[in-house]
Amino acid sequence: MSDVTLTIDGKTVTVPKGTKVVDAAKQVEVDIPVFCYHEKIGPLGCCRMCLVEVEKMPKLMTACTMDVAPDMVVKTVGDKVEKAQKGVLEFTLLNHPLDCPVCDKGGECPLQDNTFKYGPPDTRMEFHRANNVKAAPLSPVITIDRERCIACQRCTAYSERIEQDRGLVMLNRGFHNEVNTFNNEPYDNRFSGNVIDICPVGALTNTDFRFKARTWDLENHDTLCANCGCNCNITLGTRLNEFMRIEARPNDAVDDGWICDKGRWGHHFMESKNKITAARENSVGKTEPTSFPNFPINAPAEQAAEKVIEIFKNIAEEHGPESIGFLGSPYATNEEGYLYQKLFRLLGTNNIDHKSYQDTPGLPIRHFDVEEIENSNIVLLIACDPTEELPILDLRIKKAVSRCGTKLLSLNDQDTALDKYAELKVKYKVGSEASAVDALAEGLARELGESIDFSSDLGPTGISDEDMKSLVEAVRSSMKICVVYNPAALSGDTSLRVKRLLSVIARIPTIECGAIPAAPATNAVGAVDMGLLPDFYPGGVPVSDSEKVKELWGENAPTKPGLSASEMIAKAKSGDLKALWIHRSNPVVDFPGGEQVVEALKNLDLLVVHDMLETETTQLAKIVLPSNGPGFDEGTTTNIGGRVQARRKALEANSIDDWKLIQVMLKKLGDESSYSRVAKVLNEISQKVPGYQEINSRFVGKQGCNREQVAGEEVSPGNVESAASSNGKLQLRVATYLFAHDKILDASSKLAYHFKPSSAFLNESDAGKIGVSNGDRVSISGNGTEMEAEVTIDNRCMEGGVVVPRISDEQGVNGLGNPDGSPAWVDIKKA
Amino acid sequence: MTQILFKDINKEGLHTMKVYEGLGGYQSLKKAFAQKPEEIVEAVKASGLRGRGGAGFPTGLKWSFLAKDVFPRYLCCNADESEPGTCKDRELLLKNPHLLIEGMILCSYACRIETGYIYFRGEFQDLSFIMDKALDEARAKGYLGKNILGSGFDLDIHTHLGAGAYICGEESALLNSLEGGRGEPRMKPPFPAVEGLYSKPTVINNVETLCAVPYIVSEGADKYAALGTEKSKGTKLVSVSGHVKKPGNYEIEMGTPTSELIYNLAGGIQNDNKLKAFIPGGSSVPMLPADKVDTPYDYESLAEAGTMLGSGALIVIDDSINIVEATLRLISFYMHESCGKCTPCREGTRWLHQIVERIMQNKGQLEYITRLEDICDNMAFKTFCPLADACVAPVVSSIKYFRADYEEYFKNVPAGAAS
Ligand SMILES: Cc1cc2nc3c(=O)[nH]c(=O)nc-3n(C[C@H](O)[C@H](O)[C@H](O)COP(=O)(O)O)c2cc1C
Ligand code: SF4
Ligand code: SF4
Ligand code: SF4
Ligand code: FES
Repeated sequence: MSDVTLTIDGKTVTVPKGTKVVDAAKQVEVDIPVFCYHEKIGPLGCCRMCLVEVEKMPKLMTACTMDVAPDMVVKTVGDKVEKAQKGVLEFTLLNHPLDCPVCDKGGECPLQDNTFKYGPPDTRMEFHRANNVKAAPLSPVITIDRERCIACQRCTAYSERIEQDRGLVMLNRGFHNEVNTFNNEPYDNRFSGNVIDICPVGALTNTDFRFKARTWDLENHDTLCANCGCNCNITLGTRLNEFMRIEARPNDAVDDGWICDKGRWGHHFMESKNKITAARENSVGKTEPTSFPNFPINAPAEQAAEKVIEIFKNIAEEHGPESIGFLGSPYATNEEGYLYQKLFRLLGTNNIDHKSYQDTPGLPIRHFDVEEIENSNIVLLIACDPTEELPILDLRIKKAVSRCGTKLLSLNDQDTALDKYAELKVKYKVGSEASAVDALAEGLARELGESIDFSSDLGPTGISDEDMKSLVEAVRSSMKICVVYNPAALSGDTSLRVKRLLSVIARIPTIECGAIPAAPATNAVGAVDMGLLPDFYPGGVPVSDSEKVKELWGENAPTKPGLSASEMIAKAKSGDLKALWIHRSNPVVDFPGGEQVVEALKNLDLLVVHDMLETETTQLAKIVLPSNGPGFDEGTTTNIGGRVQARRKALEANSIDDWKLIQVMLKKLGDESSYSRVAKVLNEISQKVPGYQEINSRFVGKQGCNREQVAGEEVSPGNVESAASSNGKLQLRVATYLFAHDKILDASSKLAYHFKPSSAFLNESDAGKIGVSNGDRVSISGNGTEMEAEVTIDNRCMEGGVVVPRISDEQGVNGLGNPDGSPAWVDIKKA
Repeated sequence: MTQILFKDINKEGLHTMKVYEGLGGYQSLKKAFAQKPEEIVEAVKASGLRGRGGAGFPTGLKWSFLAKDVFPRYLCCNADESEPGTCKDRELLLKNPHLLIEGMILCSYACRIETGYIYFRGEFQDLSFIMDKALDEARAKGYLGKNILGSGFDLDIHTHLGAGAYICGEESALLNSLEGGRGEPRMKPPFPAVEGLYSKPTVINNVETLCAVPYIVSEGADKYAALGTEKSKGTKLVSVSGHVKKPGNYEIEMGTPTSELIYNLAGGIQNDNKLKAFIPGGSSVPMLPADKVDTPYDYESLAEAGTMLGSGALIVIDDSINIVEATLRLISFYMHESCGKCTPCREGTRWLHQIVERIMQNKGQLEYITRLEDICDNMAFKTFCPLADACVAPVVSSIKYFRADYEEYFKNVPAGAAS
């Protein structure tokens, strides 16, 4: 786009064509007051606060709606403008209640600020100010004060243009207009809370924060949301070491200025009564391990940890290092993950993992930052449901499609909310993702005229030849493609197949391409990067590369591939694995296998769980250690776009920081490194982790920075195994539901109103065969487990499959899955 | 006087196809289809026809602004006629629906449009039924539908009823309403000619504007341009209301003196009272005092006199009326009709109303008059659409010409004794 030069208050500024005058002014530090204008929402022209004088224009113009033009001369001062500003402010305040002394917005209110700077000193209003409703709930978490609303329409425009479902609308007209919902339905979509941040007055208030604190009494901490892999930037306000509220902290590269409601209201787990606050010993487990000394009651966590790690060392010495294992956390910080893998590799084992699905570090093409979605002309989603899994990605994709001309393609086994934005949606049968991905790769390879060493079969996928052809064509003809795939929703080794597909795409000469591995967990990318893997050291260094491993990690570093999480569980069951350490993970409900996982864990000589909340897994642990978790911890996480950002401490905890606790244990094992601050761990990461060379705490700053591409050797997938005959069973697809009733959103959560009953989404024809109709209760069984659900017939998936969203921990849907992560078959019967 | 739109207006059964065709209706189509669409646009330009909805924008020029090569395009006929005093479109729609259809067909052909809408104000339900019937007749005759009269040109026209909001007469609010959205004006640019209905190039014209097109096509642009003044060509329907003996719609040649309308056509002032003031172009334009009654009724002369031709509604006010009271009534209309989108209009209209009301309760102070002017100044030309300017017009002009009427209220109020 060409540039335009203009002058504003005598200052010359050059900006891209299409820039609004109000934004151009910012660049030369000229302040034009606004109420309704919001850069991300776009111009509205409602409030008239931004009137400026433009040479050759007879009237004053609104700087927010006006595009810059060459040689334009703008004046933001002078009698004419100042009179208009005073006039507009007088109108705005005419019926405003001026209850600043009790208003949540007081102290950070654009209306206060603009009035102070540009307003008339007094008012000529001599009539009773209009009265209106002071506290009307728009949803359980948002309360509107109608008297304070200045009808700027930011919120309703946000609803229309950003979240795009017109949940919030203007009703009635003129002086009687009001922000409300259709038919008084609650305003309760996934992104509702952002209207609180953008409301320029105290009209839209956070019900949870209402009247809790004056804004100037808040301590604001710039940190990150820890609820999903987007890692949205937030400001966490505290007062007297108590949690007060969360607000968005705009970062274009990550969240584009928005957060989801789970990010805003899903942080009350920090004060949960299930919080683990001290180390303890449970009277569980098989027999007392012989070398296990009595655990002193009320021992501080560091003492306990020192003791326990010694026992791990003893077990490793006694039974060999293969007999111990570590299950790390995709929710923990990079520093914690890094130190933990260091600790266990020091114990001589590579039995390290953090997930129940297969994944490898690195990508054969560029790792795109989330922002790249906007300037890709094609976005291909594979097995992704961003709305539920990574909510802010949903907004970004909508923005790309509706404003940037991006076309959306989707390859998935279930329908998702974003489908209506998709140019092409190709649906494969549940469990057939391997064939579907291979078919796309093969189709593209053929277009390239490449000889290929794998063959694909569309048969099991249920995809028609034409659909696959259109998909191949759409990908092939793209100029810039961003592939977003969710490794956690891919069974077996399909994520390796996706990587093979990516390398084929990379070979198409005309395409600029990149990918985003979009697993939902907070630090799923960081956990892989930090080497919480049985076959890779941090930075994608394969354990088999003994030269490199020894160079980075010393002569004794183990180079034999370790056990994956599911293998560790299997070995625990068989008794080969004696001791397992789990950091912030709850495999009993979150991993497939259910009862089998429980049995395996029970069979261990020693299970240590280091977690922040009590879980089904902590109940099985011999030793429980307290972890502080988000809000209390500090360190970095790497989001789905590969951006490393700082999570900061907002609240003081009683327990020792996780990274310090690991350091105590490292010391105990003779490790000599000492970290005075968590930043020192990051320093070490930048030295030891390929891809993180440029990362240090200063560089990460407030907005984070991208790591270099993490290398990774391509692992070839095997042949697709043909599925066993179904025998009337259905393939299970466990879908993600954002507001699941789990440990994070417990019953006391502000978001409890989103909780849903268990349901099974069936295809019409399967429902017919089973003989159930909408609303029927069914029992679903598989893998020796059974659960109940209510039937919804809506063809969300194709015949032969069933979609069951994970709606709570109690529901236990993962228990139906196979512990090895292969596609699971279930039986469905009328209950 | 030459009658174009009202030539046969009182003919029995004019609203039926039979009578309309019998009087030469739809004859212009054949003539039009023999020409290239662009030639019709040129003819309308040459005729000097200007928009009769209020702004007086040259119609042919508007048609030529349509975004090039973007299809589909739409035609929206503005039949929202809500401006107080205005009822000319109503008479055309009631008595001569086929004239509008014919005009819309010509416009659509000229602009390569295949879908037209007639947006009626909510209260015009009866008229929309008449129009639906007329449209059916036109379809049956092949004047609408596929391949009209073998020209290869397709067109259909639909009627749509608003929900009763003055602002929906404003063209971009009309589009929002037609799309099923909230009746609020849109930002311009983009103008409707570039991004209008469903974001496609759209022509929006007033009923009267479109009804003038058949004459231009069948009789020639020159003949139309020969009527009226140099810059205001053709004829104009004027709705005369207020204190006249024969209120109603009159078709005049542009440039006819206003006094002719009041004293001749409309039969003079009721009860033989004296003329006090008149609002020449609908409630949205400034009023003028009686001594300007000879101002020729055309765009330029009225502008020179400090007012506007607007929608062509001449509201006559005799000397029995207190101007402050009349002004309050007008403010109350705009207060009620403000869409509420922008602050000065939403708040200002109400404030003006509160102040004038208080003046009339003898509770004000002299200073209120300057305050009113100042508030008007803070509103005028600072809002999103011209509705606020329309509210300001009667207030400012009434103070300008009839200050004494205001001062009357303060006679018995000691200075400084505010409420
Ligand atoms: C507040 C407001 C109300 C309007 N109401 C009407 C109306 O009722 N009918 C109409 O034809 N034009 C109305 N207009 C003018 C339209 O915006 C538009 O200019 C007109 O329909 C264009 O048609 P024309 O060029 O044929 O006049 C209104 C304008 C404003 C600002
Ligand atoms: S509630 Fe707030 S954001 Fe919404 S219109 Fe009112 S002032 Fe604006
Ligand atoms: S999208 Fe994810 S990171 Fe962002 S606020 Fe929501 S849960 Fe938090
Ligand atoms: S001037 Fe009045 S009618 Fe026009 S947009 Fe503003 S509030 Fe609505
Ligand atoms: S900021 Fe420009 S009109 Fe509101």
